[in-house]
Amino acid sequence: MMTSLIDRDMPTIAPAHDPRPDHLVLEGLEKRYDKVVAVAALDLAVRQGEFIALLGPSGCGKTTTLRMTAGLVPASAGRIVIGGRDVTHLPPYRRDIGLVFQNYALFPHMTVAENVAFGLEMRKVPKADIGKRVAEALALVRLAQYGERRPRELSGGQQQRVALARALVIRPSILLLDEPLSNLDAKLREEMRTEIREIQRRLGITTLFVTHDQVEALSMCDRIAVMQAGELVQLGTPFEIYERPRRAFIADFVGRSNKLDGIVREAGVIEVGPLTLRATETPARGTEVRISVRPHRIHIHPHPGSARPHARTNLLVGRVVRTTYVGDVFQYDVDVGPGVMQVEKPTAAGPQPISRGDEVELEWSVVDTLVFEDRP
Amino acid sequence: MDIGRNSQGFTLLVGLLFAFLLAPVLFVFPISFSNDPFLAFPPQSWGFKYFAALPRNAVLMSAFRTSLALAATVTALSLALAVPAAYALVRLDFRGRDWLMSLFTAPLLLPSIVLGLAILLVFVRVDLLATYPGLVIAHLVVTLPYALRVIATALGTLPPAIEDAAATLGAPPFTVFRRVTLPMMMPGIVAASALSFLVSFDEVVISLFIVGPKLSTFPVEMFRYVETRTDPLIAAASVILIVATIGIVLVLERSIGVARALGKASQP
Ligand SMILES: Nc1ncnc2c1ncn2[C@@H]1O[C@H](COP(=O)(O)OP(=O)(O)OP(=O)(O)O)[C@@H](O)[C@H]1O
Ligand SMILES: [Mg+2]
Repeated sequence: MMTSLIDRDMPTIAPAHDPRPDHLVLEGLEKRYDKVVAVAALDLAVRQGEFIALLGPSGCGKTTTLRMTAGLVPASAGRIVIGGRDVTHLPPYRRDIGLVFQNYALFPHMTVAENVAFGLEMRKVPKADIGKRVAEALALVRLAQYGERRPRELSGGQQQRVALARALVIRPSILLLDEPLSNLDAKLREEMRTEIREIQRRLGITTLFVTHDQVEALSMCDRIAVMQAGELVQLGTPFEIYERPRRAFIADFVGRSNKLDGIVREAGVIEVGPLTLRATETPARGTEVRISVRPHRIHIHPHPGSARPHARTNLLVGRVVRTTYVGDVFQYDVDVGPGVMQVEKPTAAGPQPISRGDEVELEWSVVDTLVFEDRP
Repeated sequence: MDIGRNSQGFTLLVGLLFAFLLAPVLFVFPISFSNDPFLAFPPQSWGFKYFAALPRNAVLMSAFRTSLALAATVTALSLALAVPAAYALVRLDFRGRDWLMSLFTAPLLLPSIVLGLAILLVFVRVDLLATYPGLVIAHLVVTLPYALRVIATALGTLPPAIEDAAATLGAPPFTVFRRVTLPMMMPGIVAASALSFLVSFDEVVISLFIVGPKLSTFPVEMFRYVETRTDPLIAAASVILIVATIGIVLVLERSIGVARALGKASQP
């Protein structure tokens, strides 16, 4: 275990070059409401068949971005290009986009089958084909038997799948999903995650998925676009976003992290109050920085002095102020002087070696010390 | 004094209020089954004499037919105007929207007598007095605000996302309206129709200013009848009206729920 901790280096995170062409391109997209800037100069290129998550806290402009893409609100500035065609000024009904709304927005006065058939009727698909395609779409979302029901006679998860079938049946060139899972309970949400991802892969449909749930974004998507206050602050694979967040805000928002504020003393060395911590990369000497370390990347040793100091690890002594049992992990809050750090350790059956008041030693690899110049 | 919602005092108060409001109406029922030649309570002889006499009164019957046709026309026109107006006021975003809404519903706040006088003054100049179109326009002034209010409320409770969904599925604006908005507004439209019809059929104050010797409405003729005669015929007519009105309201309540149509309930 020790060696693995020390020898672990940053894995290569540069993704293999993706040969797929760009399919949906947002260029300098902007939306202003009087003085409020809902979305500011957003640039984003989604490749053919790619699944991208728009991730960010409430009010950061995710829905607005989606609605501009769908044509439901006009952009204040910028361009929207789908498959090489500039659609910025096209009305929604001519954009060929499938949109699943947060509250599903099913037509309450139509049956499930009529809901799904609506888009096909608008496209003047022959009657005989409509029946067949509706049946296929309902089978795809495993609701083949529910065609005659009304939306209000379905559960939340079933309604969500009808909304998905209704958006997919028209074979849109782009699929947009606005927090489609947020109304479901945890168990169903997990099922639907896999299901949506599965269907998206099978149909190879270019998808933009809005969420404020980081687990959803990390587990489902090819790439994640993180938004903050109307701006796109980082675009990358789930791995990049989690392991190499570009801002303290992202480290904080995606996954959990311990935060300590300090000053760079020399290259790779940061002073946090009386403590000295190491990191792989640091800005210029004297810069005020924020350090962030993931709780589960920290090892906790019950007896101080048992771990040997090493140039590629950080070692801190502290006192346990709280222990929390969360089933699969134990959380320890450890007071290290300038702050309290949370550490996670998988639980095991048998007596627990650490309890409140114990003096412990914390150890983590220098690569797990994330350093930021912003302090949100 | 504490008048809690569930307290007995409150129940008693409400009961008294209802009794006070309904007592005159309840008196009408026994009187309508009187065979006396004059209005008296309690009646000295009972029977269906005046119910039988009603169809033979040419003046009242002609006014009744006028009122029916008038109410139907006014209802149709109210809807034709209120539906697009409500749509524009609720769904389109333009300056002065709230101001316009207040303006359109302002007649609800004016005393009928003032409205009637104003309409009389205008109609004298444009030769609409004692004409059918004149009556229609005068009634529209009263029914339109009601219809607009009810339909705007119904539209306001519809989540716009449903219309957006139809648009993204390829429906141009008018198709969205016809296939999605209109069917979902139906309860509001039914309620607005019923309200317009009843308000028009019942309208007496404004009509009094406008009707002429050849063209009169049912409530106006009832009013004139009791000015000159005092037999229970008018009670029989009232009972028929009350029963018909209750019938309409019950049918509405059964089919859509009046409270919901008037906008009390939330989204479907
Ligand atoms: N019609 C509007 N008028 C004025 N401001 C608006 C309007 N719509 C959105 N905004 C503002 O734009 C910003 C972005 O809103 P948006 O709905 O895109 O957020 P979001 O990221 O989808 O948030 P959530 O996760 O809560 O859905 C917010 O500050 C919001 O208040
Ligand atoms: Mg949103």
